[in-house]
Amino acid sequence: MSSSDTGTVTYLFALCAGRPPDGALAAVAGHSGGGPLRTLAAGAVHLVVQDVPAADFGERALTDRLNRPEELRRCALAHHRGVAAAAPCGPVVPLPMATVYLSDGNAVSAVASREEAVLAVFRRLDGRTEWAVKVHAAAPEAAAGAAGSGSAGTGGPGTAVPGGRGYLSRASARQRMRRDRHETARAVARTVDLTLRRYAVDATAHRPQSEHLTGRRAPQLLNAAYLVDDARRAEFTAALDRLRADGRLREVEITSSGPWIPYSFARLGEQVPAAATTAAAGAAGTGAP
Amino acid sequence: MTDVSAWADPADSTVYVPGPGNSTLADLLERILDKGVVIAGDIKIDLLDIELLTIRLRLFIASVDTAKKAGIDWWETDPAMSSRAARDALTQENEMLRERLAALESRLDDASGTAPGPSPTTTPTPTKSSTENHAR
Repeated sequence: MSSSDTGTVTYLFALCAGRPPDGALAAVAGHSGGGPLRTLAAGAVHLVVQDVPAADFGERALTDRLNRPEELRRCALAHHRGVAAAAPCGPVVPLPMATVYLSDGNAVSAVASREEAVLAVFRRLDGRTEWAVKVHAAAPEAAAGAAGSGSAGTGGPGTAVPGGRGYLSRASARQRMRRDRHETARAVARTVDLTLRRYAVDATAHRPQSEHLTGRRAPQLLNAAYLVDDARRAEFTAALDRLRADGRLREVEITSSGPWIPYSFARLGEQVPAAATTAAAGAAGTGAP
Repeated sequence: MTDVSAWADPADSTVYVPGPGNSTLADLLERILDKGVVIAGDIKIDLLDIELLTIRLRLFIASVDTAKKAGIDWWETDPAMSSRAARDALTQENEMLRERLAALESRLDDASGTAPGPSPTTTPTPTKSSTENHAR
């Protein structure tokens, strides 16, 4: 339907193996100003698309809008709604936000030329969802309290030594403690990651978010995503709960969200054999991509 | 502690949908801006750094929350607020602010007699630049 004479372009949300019913798609609000969500077919692959105003989705307009916070937020949520609309009909491969074609034909041929690769991703993602897990160092006060109660009886930095020499020794002890605590927290984050990987088919690390972004005073040690079989979801979440309840992991705070559409695992042509998952585990938690 | 509410009803919602003011919006951006199958579209976009975008978004959400607490919630009453309307509102506000700024500056100049530093004639003409900023 999209063409230059109607003033619309084709926005591609996701690819899916099953064809979502028109009624279900029509009920979903896509991008504002656009038409109802609909599907196109490229061989065995279904495309979830929407006609959107060319004026709002041209290069200049789109760049400008996405660099503005409120528009970015609205676009991101609209994109996610469109992707999620396809999720009940089997595996879904989400496209990055703002994948736009000048016509339906262009969209179909772009997908058709990669049909085999897309089908391979469907097989990899079928019956699996993504879980986001973040590990932060515990807030300094909480960790200090935990350390204090854990090492009862030892002459800690609280032991009073009067005078300047006492001050210096207390200061260096505090510094040593901070350093130790940070090392411990990093090790704990690695433990969390290794533990969760046991219940996941695949895992990947996002760039740790800055303190400026998280609004926390403590550094983010792990920003991971796990691809989990639906059949093992309960095991995975139970493992998460156990880690949170584990008294030995007081140096960190674990947060999670899910199940997500497997955004982080929907890469074309990516072969992740089971062995590679374990091999990569050692590097996790350091923030290395 | 795990967010089980999101998938309590499998028939309805099988996937996690972050709320509009949710901190997981950052997680969503991380996933939809640089992840996903790489099939190039016809349109190229040139975005700021994702981290920077997300920080700005977080600040924006915080300011919306603040405004809501103060009872300013006009965008809530119009969920389908078009980008056109947003643009117009911003342009208007921008023009108004520039006018007020110009008025304040001229009052300052008057008050201090001969203005020190850069000449006031270098002040850009307000209407022109404001329309440029928000024309697209």
